[in-house]
Amino acid sequence: MGDTELDLSPSQMEELQKSPSASSTSTTSSLSLPSSPSSGPRPFTSSSPSASDSLPASSPPLDVISEGVGELSLVIDTEVAKKACQEVLQKVKFLKVDSEPASTAVEPKLVNGTSHTDPSDGDSDGLEKPVKITEEEPSSGTVKSARRRQKNNTSKQSWLLRLFESKLFDISMAISYLYNSKEPGVQAYIGNRLFSFRNEDVDFYLPQLLNMYIHMDEEVGDAIKPYVVHRCRQSINFSLQCAWLLGAYSSDMHISTQRHSRGTKLRKLILSDELKPASQRARREVLQPPPEHSLSPSKRTHQRSKSDATVSISLSSNLKRTASNPKVESSQDEVRPLYLSQTGFPVRLTPQREFIKSLMGIGKRLATLPTKEQKTQRLISELSLLNHKLPARVWLPTAAFDHHVVRVPHTQAVVLNSKDKAPYLIYVEVLECENFETSSVPVRIPETRIRSTRSVENLPDCGITPDQRASSFSTVPNYDNDDEAWSVDDIGELQVELPEIHTNSCDNISQFSVDSITSQESKEPIFIAAGDIRRRLSEQLAHTPTTFKKDPEDPSAVALKEPWQEKVRRIREGSPYGHLPNWRLLSVIVKCGDDLRQELLAFQVLKQLQSIWEQERVPLWIKPYKILVISSDSGMIEPVVNAVSIHQVKKQSQLSLLDYFLQEHGNYTTEAFLTAQRNFVQSCAGYCLICYLLQVKDRHNGNILLDSEGHIIHIDFGFILSSSPRNLGFETSAFKLTNEFVDVMGGQDGDMFNYYKMLMLQGLIAARKHMEKVIQIVEIMQQGSQLPCFHGSSTIRNLKERFHMSLTEEQLQVLVEQMVDGSMRSITTKLYDGFQYLTNGIM
Amino acid sequence: MAQERKVGLLRRTSSSKKPLKEKVVLMYDEIFTKDDPAKTNPRFWDELFLMKVNLEYLEAKLESLDGDEVMLIKENLNSLFHHCVQALEEEHQIKVVNALQTLCALFRGVHQKNKSATGFDIINMLVGFDKAELRMKDLMESLDSLLCGDGSESLKSLCLKLLLCLVTVTDNISQNTLLEYVMINSIFEAILQILSDVSSRGQHGYDAVVLLALLVNYRKYESVNPYIVKLSIVDDEPTLDGMGMVVHHALTEYNRQYKDKDEERHGGFLSTLTNMVGSMFIADADEKLSVQTNEAILLALYEAVHLNRNFITVLAQSHPEMDMPTTPAPTVPTTPTTPLGTTPPSVDLMHNPELPLDPSMQTSNLLITFLKYSSIVMQDTKDEHRLNSARLCLIILACIAEDQYADAFLHDDNMNFRVNLHRMPMRHRKKAADKNVPCRPLVCAVLDLMVEFIVTHMMKEFPMDLYTRCVQIIHKLICYQKKCRIRLQYTWRELWSALINLLKFLLSNETTLLAKHNIFLLALQVVNLFNMFITYGDTFLPTPSSYDELYYEIVRMHQVFENLYCMVLRVSTNVGQWKEPASKVTHALVNVRAIINHFNPKIESYAAVNHISQLSEDQVLEVVRSNYDTLTLKLQDGLDQFERYSEQPRETAFFKELVRSISVNVRKNVSLNTLSQDVLLKEFSSIS
Repeated sequence: MGDTELDLSPSQMEELQKSPSASSTSTTSSLSLPSSPSSGPRPFTSSSPSASDSLPASSPPLDVISEGVGELSLVIDTEVAKKACQEVLQKVKFLKVDSEPASTAVEPKLVNGTSHTDPSDGDSDGLEKPVKITEEEPSSGTVKSARRRQKNNTSKQSWLLRLFESKLFDISMAISYLYNSKEPGVQAYIGNRLFSFRNEDVDFYLPQLLNMYIHMDEEVGDAIKPYVVHRCRQSINFSLQCAWLLGAYSSDMHISTQRHSRGTKLRKLILSDELKPASQRARREVLQPPPEHSLSPSKRTHQRSKSDATVSISLSSNLKRTASNPKVESSQDEVRPLYLSQTGFPVRLTPQREFIKSLMGIGKRLATLPTKEQKTQRLISELSLLNHKLPARVWLPTAAFDHHVVRVPHTQAVVLNSKDKAPYLIYVEVLECENFETSSVPVRIPETRIRSTRSVENLPDCGITPDQRASSFSTVPNYDNDDEAWSVDDIGELQVELPEIHTNSCDNISQFSVDSITSQESKEPIFIAAGDIRRRLSEQLAHTPTTFKKDPEDPSAVALKEPWQEKVRRIREGSPYGHLPNWRLLSVIVKCGDDLRQELLAFQVLKQLQSIWEQERVPLWIKPYKILVISSDSGMIEPVVNAVSIHQVKKQSQLSLLDYFLQEHGNYTTEAFLTAQRNFVQSCAGYCLICYLLQVKDRHNGNILLDSEGHIIHIDFGFILSSSPRNLGFETSAFKLTNEFVDVMGGQDGDMFNYYKMLMLQGLIAARKHMEKVIQIVEIMQQGSQLPCFHGSSTIRNLKERFHMSLTEEQLQVLVEQMVDGSMRSITTKLYDGFQYLTNGIM
Repeated sequence: MAQERKVGLLRRTSSSKKPLKEKVVLMYDEIFTKDDPAKTNPRFWDELFLMKVNLEYLEAKLESLDGDEVMLIKENLNSLFHHCVQALEEEHQIKVVNALQTLCALFRGVHQKNKSATGFDIINMLVGFDKAELRMKDLMESLDSLLCGDGSESLKSLCLKLLLCLVTVTDNISQNTLLEYVMINSIFEAILQILSDVSSRGQHGYDAVVLLALLVNYRKYESVNPYIVKLSIVDDEPTLDGMGMVVHHALTEYNRQYKDKDEERHGGFLSTLTNMVGSMFIADADEKLSVQTNEAILLALYEAVHLNRNFITVLAQSHPEMDMPTTPAPTVPTTPTTPLGTTPPSVDLMHNPELPLDPSMQTSNLLITFLKYSSIVMQDTKDEHRLNSARLCLIILACIAEDQYADAFLHDDNMNFRVNLHRMPMRHRKKAADKNVPCRPLVCAVLDLMVEFIVTHMMKEFPMDLYTRCVQIIHKLICYQKKCRIRLQYTWRELWSALINLLKFLLSNETTLLAKHNIFLLALQVVNLFNMFITYGDTFLPTPSSYDELYYEIVRMHQVFENLYCMVLRVSTNVGQWKEPASKVTHALVNVRAIINHFNPKIESYAAVNHISQLSEDQVLEVVRSNYDTLTLKLQDGLDQFERYSEQPRETAFFKELVRSISVNVRKNVSLNTLSQDVLLKEFSSIS
């Protein structure tokens, strides 16, 4: 890899750095946009020096360079090259566009394609090169049509191009042009340009990209596919995300078309696990003497997808550990390498798919049980079986860091409140790692090993801080050596040992109780007052923090009320993996039987608005929670930690919201209360705007959470935009604002209430400024969708109207006042709460 | 019958009475001569193993010979054994089957006859001293590879039967010298492999577990038994789980059968009517309603819990899907499955997880099943087997209660279960409705079981040993709660009143009981339990009012404690064997007496002041609450300490006796099963 980089001639390097387009593997084809071999590239490189210069030298494109160069060795594969050409040929024929010239154009390319791998000619025909490369593109046919068109409106194109080359051109605009432009050339250009954006930025628009791929015309699809395939090769996670989203968004198609649709095909390709990372190949080839170096930065990885002869042999199709053979005592060590064994390729997608599948299977089976209690028991037992297969190369896609799942603390899992489905919340112990694809899977530690750490001395109340405990854990010797030590003496002597725990018992009374009863005569008797015992008992009970009472009908309330840090500490203590420094606790809600596509849409809009408000420095607070769509009726949700629903708060505390705030945070004048109140106002304003803009309905108190800092968080975006529950006509107000909420803000005349309205106004103005960014997300997803939120024809128009582009700021202020007023007075909100209380028992 | 046949055979001519002698029998006869049968027919051994074995004849023949006669044909016997072992490696499965069965007959025949003979004689007779080590090694290796290979399941089953047969030929397993070779050539791994695999576990799990339990008990106390060592370090979860599953299944089956019979007995009005005529006899049969308790499985459970720390996790392992394709338990005949609803989680769930589940099904785990089983076994401890089973149940519970990890999940607030324990029908109480058992942490079920035992066994034949164990278990659990400050939402009151009633019983039967038992030890334990509550109640009682209730209960039953004090004081002032233990009880009673002496006058004066003759509970509680501060208690030492369970030396005799009884039982059952291998033969004859 390194040596190929060295072989770049200085001038080439210079050129690569100068032009952002040429700098990335993909953007080489940007030159193809005007795409006349003779004149095309010249105006671009010359006309956009300002744009390219302004790009930071160390910006992502440079990274892409090294990556591209790193993969150069692949291009040299003659077989691949031939295959690629054949593919292009086929495509050209298929397109029937300029079929004669096209084939002749391609032919020389074949020759040139290999010839320009010679480093010597790189300098001389630097201008020519890109063109050849473009022809190597699968979209060469479309490029030609673009070329023809380009003659007609060169000026317009160049302006467009200048925009594309400018630093202002971000992923949002790229998506927008991809969606709106009817020009295949533009689409192809943007398809290539995708490579130059940061992965995380593009990831945000993945649902849009894939939805376009599925439901829009072929040109758009062709433009998107290379990027998707490229990313799939790089990342298992991305592969699975794509596969799941493709499946979910294809589901609205008619069954007959669906089977043959592009989306389904791509999904199959991904799931067949044929999209291996190119680096694996490179790794093997590095061993061979480096062949001629190609300067061509174009190596369309997807072209090799079919030529890739190395068919992976998927090994154990299960989550690995099941295969362990007890006959061999050290089976674990032998099973583990199976993942990487034989072909040298890990089984990429299988473990994770099996993991997700078993989680969904649990959800399905839970749904058949009638009571919460049975569901909970069943959930716990199912999860404990799941534990047997862990650790494995599986992860939670909702997490922000790379990790391996090592254990599911099954007794902590809870079934969530739902009428007929069985969503459940699990906590997952993971070990953070560098890269979940390459780092080795942690070794299993049996459950019972925790006893060495969870001995009585380490129990709570002993005043050992978690840090101290952690440090003491690190000195615990290797468990394997330990193993034999105890197993031998366990048989004979160990049974008679006296509990030595008493010497350092945490209980101050029992400190004295070391001696046995027989010796009591000889000692000074110790007297204690019965009253003290009774007092301690009541004091200790009073001192326990406000927890919720256990309710078999609402098992999640207790689990969710427990502070997250507290829960992490507790689970860590009980876990055999808890002593490891990279141990983390995650949680996830598994939804089975629910369509999370709308939730995902809402998440995207929330996220977008959040960044808009951040950019415009409006201190609105919202909490978009991550959504993972697995299919059109299953998925996972990242739970909001330290938050319980207002319904649970009211039911458990039997207090008004304001009184609950006072109880939890302190009196009106305390800083804690004021902070919580400010948090409440900022979040309330944020969510009121969200509710208004997105027309979020079904806003009963079970769907509004309150976190430990006072923020409210709306959850469940099942009814947004054009859909509302059962269309009963409730909830006609702009958003939900009850008197209780206003009370927490300090009443209608308070400063905080004015602050609230002011925040709403600022937030609306900011959102209006960037309306396109929001609309775009929704609009693209409407393509081919049967989701209820897109019901009717006026969804987008109505959404746009709610941004009130035509109003002046003064008029907007009046509007906000009106909405707040209307919402507060809204009889329907009260009616709806009453309705929910009657039908679902939600307070 | 064998005798009869033999007679028939001797009279060769009387073919009218008996059919012609089988060829195999003729060949056996040849072996039982002094000459080498291969001399006349070089293919003798080959032919022998092609023939269907006549077990009865072979066994009877061996049995009929006395020691000297056997020594005469020793060469031929050794040769037979040798060829049996060789035949095990044959590809021809018929030969393997016949060899296995012949070996079975050999082991048994030699042992039955030579009851007086030493183990060494037997080895010599059967294998020959000089070659014993090699031959037995070959045998064990062949068995091991048969058990682990991909061969026929029936063959594996037969191997296990042979091993069970070998292990149980003597009543006292430790006197079975042949087992020394099984120790040296371990088949432990083969057993584990059977247990780890779902399908083989289903078919052979029961035999494998029983075999393991027996092997672990070979010369357990005298030498290092490799099976003990190996069992204690197994940490492969699928295997341990498999073992748990086999035990679980066997116990579940027992519980189900009991329940069926129980329902039959207390069946609906209609069935009562129809059975009216026969009710006279049924009353008698009811006593034996008990399905034979399953001591072997219980022993296996004990060994696993006692020896292997990792097995503790298996106890709490729930099994939503039981993966037992067949009912393997040979001791219990399978009953036709009733329609869904009463059957335990059925097999098809495993194969078809999409199948909707029976909604009435409660998730269960080994511990719950074990508790239910214990509740059944403990109901009636009159017969020896059941008494032993009950004792073993309590021992297992004691081991569990000592284990930190087990305690952790017993007390886990998130693991709530409904455990329907079986309660003995008693005159003074109604049969509790099963359905309204609340969903609670498992420790509540354990405590309930203990309370139930205490309440129901105060009888003439006082099971002192069981009571002691029972109170110890409670003590261990409370110690854990105190240490970990776990405030269990449990109605402690039931326990308190059960314990007080126990003291009352001890007092009223003092003389009869003292003749047999040291009642002061038990009394001391009980009083110390109260001391735990009194002095450490703040660390584990659920509410302040439960502490008040404790005082209320003590004050209410003050008469019992006062009588107890009088009694122990009297005994401790006399000279005699009970002086020491009785005086311990007097010291232990100091706080209880302090409470009584403190509150009784207060309550009386309260009644006098308020002119109430009979105070209500609330009023007494009120007096209690307002008078704590003037009461001083003395701290007792060592309340939260307990002696850890140890098998040696205290339980040695019990286990020896138990293993003996299991051996006899297994031997009986194996013999029946081995002989009905016609099916197997058919299977193979069709193959070959």
